[in-house]
This record gives sequence, structure tokens and C-alpha cells, in this order.
Amino acid sequence: MTATQGYIPRPTSRNRVRPYGAVMTTDTDVVHLTDVRKEYGDTTALNGVTLSVRAGEAVAVMGPSGCGKSTMLNMIAGLDRPTSGTVRVGGEDLGRLNETKLALFRRHRIGMIFQFFNLLDDLPALDNVALAAQLTGTKAGPARRRATELLDELGIADRRNAFPATLSGGERQRVAVARALMNRPALLLADEPTGALDSSAGEQVMDLLLDLHQIGQTLLIVTHDERLATRCASRVIELADGRITRERTLERTSVSGAGA
Amino acid sequence: MSAVWRASRAAVRRRRVQTFVIGLVVLMSTMTVVIGLTLLEASSAPFDRAFAQQRGPHAIAVYDASAVTGAQLAAAKTGVAASAGPFGTATLEWTAGGEPRRADGPMTIVGRADPNGPVDRLNLWRGRWASAPGEIVLASQDHSGDGFPVVDSITLSGVAYRVVGWAYSLSGTADGWVTPAQMETLRPTSVQMLYRFAGDVSTRAAVQARLDAVTAGLPANALSAAEPYLVAKEQIAADIGVFLPFLATFGVLALIVAVVIVGNVVSGAVVSGLRQIGILKSLGFTPRQVVTVYLVMVSVPAVVGAVLGTVAGSLGAQPLLEEGFEGLGLEAGIRVSLWTWGVGLLGVPALVALAAFVPAVRAHRLSAAEAISAGSAPRRGRGTRAQRWLAGLRLPRSVSLGLGVPLSRPGRTAFTVVAVLLGVTTVTFASGLADSLERIATVQEKASGQVLVIPSDGKSRIAGPRDVPPTGEPAKTTRTDAEVEQLLRGLPDAARVSAVRGTTVPAVGQTEPVRVLYFRGDFASMGYRDELTAGRWMSGPDETVVPSELMKERRLAVGDTITLELGGRRAALTIVGEVMDGPSGQPGIFADWSVFTSLEPDRVVAPHEMEYQVQLKPTGNVAAYADAVRAADPGLDALDMSERRSDFQYIVVGFSSTLSLLLAAVAALGVFNTVVLNVRERRRDLGMLKSIGMTPRQVVAMVLTSMAAVGVVGGLLGIPVGVLAHGYIMPAAADAAQVSIPQSVMDVWQAPMLLALAFAGVVIAMLGALLPARGAARLRIAEVLHNE
Repeated sequence: MTATQGYIPRPTSRNRVRPYGAVMTTDTDVVHLTDVRKEYGDTTALNGVTLSVRAGEAVAVMGPSGCGKSTMLNMIAGLDRPTSGTVRVGGEDLGRLNETKLALFRRHRIGMIFQFFNLLDDLPALDNVALAAQLTGTKAGPARRRATELLDELGIADRRNAFPATLSGGERQRVAVARALMNRPALLLADEPTGALDSSAGEQVMDLLLDLHQIGQTLLIVTHDERLATRCASRVIELADGRITRERTLERTSVSGAGA
Repeated sequence: MSAVWRASRAAVRRRRVQTFVIGLVVLMSTMTVVIGLTLLEASSAPFDRAFAQQRGPHAIAVYDASAVTGAQLAAAKTGVAASAGPFGTATLEWTAGGEPRRADGPMTIVGRADPNGPVDRLNLWRGRWASAPGEIVLASQDHSGDGFPVVDSITLSGVAYRVVGWAYSLSGTADGWVTPAQMETLRPTSVQMLYRFAGDVSTRAAVQARLDAVTAGLPANALSAAEPYLVAKEQIAADIGVFLPFLATFGVLALIVAVVIVGNVVSGAVVSGLRQIGILKSLGFTPRQVVTVYLVMVSVPAVVGAVLGTVAGSLGAQPLLEEGFEGLGLEAGIRVSLWTWGVGLLGVPALVALAAFVPAVRAHRLSAAEAISAGSAPRRGRGTRAQRWLAGLRLPRSVSLGLGVPLSRPGRTAFTVVAVLLGVTTVTFASGLADSLERIATVQEKASGQVLVIPSDGKSRIAGPRDVPPTGEPAKTTRTDAEVEQLLRGLPDAARVSAVRGTTVPAVGQTEPVRVLYFRGDFASMGYRDELTAGRWMSGPDETVVPSELMKERRLAVGDTITLELGGRRAALTIVGEVMDGPSGQPGIFADWSVFTSLEPDRVVAPHEMEYQVQLKPTGNVAAYADAVRAADPGLDALDMSERRSDFQYIVVGFSSTLSLLLAAVAALGVFNTVVLNVRERRRDLGMLKSIGMTPRQVVAMVLTSMAAVGVVGGLLGIPVGVLAHGYIMPAAADAAQVSIPQSVMDVWQAPMLLALAFAGVVIAMLGALLPARGAARLRIAEVLHNE
């Protein structure tokens, strides 16, 4: 039994009612970047990137440090704005959204996993996970119930009352993944998800991401780790100096339509 | 440039907001400290300070000019540290001009060449010193700020003098000064010597012993009279004593707030820099160098803040002092002292260094790895049960997260609560104080009517307090006392009229005569009852109520009997009640008019010996009534007494409002700093929360909620402390003023006021938190998370 057995991010009444954008289908590009440039002063982080990610795909973005991987991820997550070009996610032009709408976009459509987990130290694992749903207005009881289910499916239900400081790195990243999945996101973004983990914990997280991909979760993973990319992704994009220099499609099968 | 200095400069530049906050907090706190200390110092020994500055005489000696020569007086200097004189002295009768309604009687005029000298340096606050015959400088306290009418001439014993200046002697050495040459023409019979003694002068006996030593070699009976400085000191101490509890309270509050805020801000700055400390250590900085970097980092803005704060505090304290002591003649003696400057310039930076030193020493002991990880490694959760409970509440998550923020830094939260508590305490105390003083003014106004009518005696016109006297020839009313009362009752809008005559009457068993206020008319229903502090109101002509000052002075009690005796007639009055103070002027016992007629049955009272108090109907117009009185009889001066507030009320409300605002601002700065530190420390958390969909509005709500909780707690604790302070300080001030106050004056804490004050803590917290909360909402997620 895999860690995500029983977890299928199926549409519910909650995630069907969205304030913006179209519901994603396999016929729709979940992510579409058109000639995106990002400059920080004299430094060009992204230099005319054009990219599409279809629903159910798992795309790994690789490249050396400073090549623009994280910048691209930030654009897709609505954490940063491009200097020029358009970023469309789920049909929504993020450049047209103000800060509040971007926050709502992230809340409902995006799940993020960070290298350093970014859990709140003062909250136990359960409340860290439930937090994402509570921000949408879900009451504490239902949010905790769903958080418990997720932690159970990710194999760390017995650690739900532990605080981040007492969890291992792998456990912390599982909690972070659970939090990212809490609102049934259309797109899961992972920024070096195994970068701060030892090999054993890294393996567990890779298994987890693979499982998620196999049940149709659209994934975009930024990583240095070739093993992670080849194991979890269906496509690998390589960046250098802010440009896409190479694109590889791997033999992998996604589950159509499950990612919506 | 050394590495330490380079690193310090870089730290200052990199932390611009923090540097600004430290500088601003230290500036405001230093300002508060300087004002607080100045008030405390002023309240501790105002007379001594002013007396020292004026080099007041320890003894004023008046010699018989025919019994001793100037040379003999100049030679008699046993135990004398400094002396001035001999100055010719004449006693002249005032006949016209001068201060309105100046008490009739003789004036002591002294011949002096200048206002300075080794002893009794006069405060020449207006005009110049007399330099020619016919010129005079009159003695008065400085009323320059309140429209005091300065007259041009005065007639003394039939001779007109041109008033060229106004001066004040703390020791009251004269009522006026002329040139020595002018004095010669007055043929003085006495000469004045002013002595400052070396050695102990703390008691009257000690001063008398010093004076005896001086006069030992002089002819017998040469000394006509002498007065030790302690007489003036006791008089002024009684006048100023009423201010002291207020001054001391605000001074102490200011000091505590400043210390708490500075400690919190500076220690927080160092704690928040632990990661940087670790990096410096890893670069090879020694622990001592690291501590130095951090001390320099906080000291640079602190020193700038302390210098600016000391200057601002001195500038701010001066008007408060001048206002507070105006009218008491101490302006010249009250200045921001050198040691207060010293505390501002040296003490506050030292406090800053100490506050920084404690956490810096902790940083000194931490290993580089520990220090670096202090900013990034997960830490043990704090207040975990409460956090879990909050997470389960049916509140918006941004609100419940905000409520949990104070729990993660309990020490910092405690400091912030204390800051808000002190701010709310000050606001509460000042509000209660202002309300109580307003109630006193209202009670007094109601009791003595809105219009005071004083018939002119045909020699001078009457001016109310702060009023310029009416112009034109003085007219004398042709009406009798009864006709004046009848006129006043007949004018439109008059509701109640009381006629009052005040005079002193010998009392059986009392060493000094008692001042008696004989009332006629509606006085019983005008509002004096509201001034009752003990007992009940008079129910018959054989009863009296007595102002509290007189009760204390004569050691009287409710139930005692005062027997007035005049011309062989007696009237026994039982004291049935005590009132706050009665009509303005010298306090006197209340007596029914029939007591006067029984003691002086044949006495015909002239109108100008009376005062008439008029209370108007609620719809009445005071100005219109006063105009009607003057129009009906030009010999009657009608004064609008409504909405008049005493100097004391203006002064106390003025400085309590100023200091409340200042302390509330400092408390808000404390909150501001706490939020800035919290936001900096929680940047990663904020970035994460925004990344999972927390909107900017939710971020602001979370940050504001975190401080609202602090504000509520500080407010709820601060209100009772402020109420207690009011309950203690008001009676203490009343005691110092030798009066009792009615309970109604103390009952200021009504629900609406308490509710408003309950919000004071939240308002202070919100004001402090709003700016950094908006900053937190604008944090760039990518930048924050990338940096982490």
C-alpha cells in the first residue's frame, strides 16, 4: 500500500466554487508561460521563457544555481511578477490579479512545498496542516478531520500532535506536503523538496511525489536532483542563464482528468 | 578602519528601520525622562531652588534709622555670608491706581539702586528699574501671560508715581521700590538689612540665633522687626503643595515608562540579531568584538536620540514649569537643571548600553553554530496548549493566529503589556483628574452663581479675575443694599439672588477673630449644599457650616460650637456641616443674615460692602444679564463668573494632558517596536502564510489582533491602577491644599468613561501596530522565502 492510497483529489463542492479561472482539464494547459522575462536590476533571472504544463503532467525543472529555476516557480505561484511576458495558470493571467486575488489564487489553486518545510513552530503538525483549510474559512473541526486523514494517508498520523522541532526532516516534509494538499490544489509546486533531507527521507518524499503524480496530480518540481527528476517527472526542462536549454520527455503515464 | 567599526556601521545601515526605531524610542523616552525628572525635582524643593537662585535673605531685619547708623550696620557682620542694605524704608498709604481691588492699607516702599546685588536678586519681569524721582517699581508676581492689567501710575500718601516696572521678591522684601534719592525725600524712619547667613539656618531658632549674633554689637532697641525666610517658605509651600502630588505622579510614571520601553527595544534588537552574531563569529570575530559591534549598533542611534531627546525635553519642560509655577512667583527659580541634562545625555545611553549588554553577553556565550541556528532552526513551540486551543476556536484563522503571537515571546509580550499598562494608567489618571477638577469647578460655579455683582465705592472700578477693569469714571451707586438686591431680582432671567457680607468677628475661645460670611436671600438653594463634605446643611440661624480649610486651621469638628461676640452681644452657632471652600476669597463660616443683625442691630450696610451672587434661569444669558445690570445702574459692576476655571485647573489639566499624550505615544512606540521585531522574526512564517493564501488584509488582521490582545490586557490592568492613583492622589492634593472634597468629585468613574478607557489600551496598541502590520502585509514572499 502506498502512502497516498485512498487519496484522490477529486472535485468537491468546495473546490468547484472558485472565484476566478476555469476548471482545469487535460485539454487545458494548467500553466502557460509566454516569453517571460524577469530582471533584478542589471541581472536577468529569466530571459524569454515560454513553457506549457498540461494537467496531470509532472514536470521537473533543473539547472545550475542561479539559472532561474526558483524565479520561474515564483512566477507560476504568483509570488513574484514578471518584468515582461505573461504567466497564465488555470487560464488566469496572473499579471491581472492584485495581491488579494493572488492570495486567493494560491489558496485555492496552488499547493507549495519548500526545501526548508516552512512549518509554524508554535503549532503541532495537525494544526499546521489544518491551517491551509482554515484560511479559506473552513471551521476547525472539519479542517482537523481532513488534516488527520491526510496525515494518515501520508503515514504520519501518529505524529499529528508533535511540534515541528520534534519531527525528523522527512516527517516535516510530509507535514508540508499534507498542508500543500489540504485545499486539493490543481497544481503542486515543489522547490527542492528533497534538498534538505538525508537520502532515506529523500527517498520517502520521492515516493510520495511519485504516488501523487500517478493519481493525476499536476506537479512542477524544481530540483538539482537528477534522481528525483527522472523518478517523479514525465518531462524534464533544463534551464541555463534564464533560458530553457533542453527539454526531455520521460516514459511515464499520468492519470487523465484526475487533477482537476 | 577597524573591522569592528566597519561591521557596526554595516549593521546600522542594514537595519535602518530598527536604527530609526531605537533612535525614536530613545528620543521620546529621554524627552519623557527629562520632563519627568524636572517635574520631580521642581516638586521636591521648589522654594529652595528659587530661593537659592534669587539669593533670598535668611532674615529681613528692619532697624530704627534714628538708633543706628549705616556704618554700624555695615560693620555688623558676625556669621553673615552676604548682606544687602541698608535700604531706606517708608510706609506709605495707597490711595489710587495700582492693582485692581488692591487691599487698602499701608505699603512698604524700599529705596534700592538696582534689583540685583549679593542678596535678594529681584525678578524684574516687566519694564525697567526706577532711575529717577517719581518712578516706582511695584512688587507683584508675573501675570504677564494672562492679561493682567498693568497700570501706569499709582498714588501713595498723596504723591503720584509713574510705574516703570514690575518685580517679584520671593521673600516679599517690599511692596514697591524707588530710587535711594527718592527715598531720602520720603524721610525714612527705618532701614532694611537683608542677611544671608553661613551655617545652619534650618529652624526659626537657628535663624534667630544668627540674627542675635549680628545685632549683638549694635545699640539696644536698634532692631525694630525681623522675619526669618521660613515664614515665606511655609506660605509658598502651602500654595504650591497642591501641585506636588500631580507633578510627582506624572514624573514617576514618565520614568518607569521610559525605562521599560528602552529596555524592551534595545534588548529586542540584540536578540533579533543573534543570527548575525553567529555569522560574525564564524568570520573570526572574537566574542568581545561581537559584543562591541552590537553595543555600537544600538549606541549610535541611542546617543543621537538621547541628545535630541534631552534638548526636546528641556524645551518641553520649560513651558510646563512656567505654566505650573506661574503666579507663585517661582518662575525664576525653576529651570531644567544640569544634572537632569546629565541624566538625559549620559544616563539614558548608559541605560541603553546596559539593556543591550545583558542579551549581548548571552550572545557572547553562544557558539557560532548556535547563534546562526537561532534564527532559522525550528524552535520549541511556546504556549502550545493555548495555541492548540486557539486553533480550535470558531474565529477567523488570521485572528486566532494573531492571538497566539504574544505567547511565542512571553518576555517581550510582558514588557509590551507593561508599556501599554502604564500608558493606560496615565490616560486613566489624567482623565479622572480632569473630570474631578471640572466637577469642582461646576460645583463652585453652581454654588456662587454665574454673575457676581459688586457695587463700586466710587473710587475704583472692579475687574473680575483676568479682566481689564472697566473704563470710565468710577460711579457710585445711589441705591441701598436692599434696593440693589431688589434690582437684581427684578431683572429678566434672574432665578436666585444671594447677598453676602464678609467680615471678621471675635469668637469666644479663639485666639484670632473668625471670618464670617453673612448670607441673605437664596443662598441655601444655590448649590453650596453640593459642596458639603461632612454633616448636613444649616436648618436654622443658630447653625453654621464651615469650609474645610477653616475647620483644619482652627481644629474644628462637626458638632462644635462657635460663639461670636461683638459689642457685648453673642451668637452661638453649632457647626452642622463642612463644605469644600465656599465663596471665593478668604474662607469664612456661613451664617444667616439674622446673625449679623443680632450682633450689629444698628449697623447700616453700604452696598459696596456687599457682594451679590446671581443664578440665572437655565435659559438665561449671562452676558445679557450682566449688561442689563450695568445699564440699570452704572455703579454696579457685574462680572460673568460662568465658565471660569481656576489657573490651577488650567495648569493641571494642561500638563496632565501633555504628559498623557507623551506617555501614550511612548507606549505606542513600544508596541511599534514589538511588532517590528515580531514581524522580522516571523518573516519566514509570514511568507509561508502568504504562500498558502493568506491575503494582505488577513496579514494585517493577524498582526493587529496580536497587539489588540496586548492592548486589552494592558488596558484592563491599567484602568484599575489609574483609578487607584486617582483615588489616592486627589485626596492627597486636597490635603496639601488644606481642603476636603465632596465625594461627588471623586465619583467620576461612570460606565461610559470606563468603556472609553478600556479602548485606550487597544487604541495605543493599534496605533503602534498599524504601520508595521501594513509592512508585514507588503512583504515580498519570494524574497522572504528565498532569503530563508
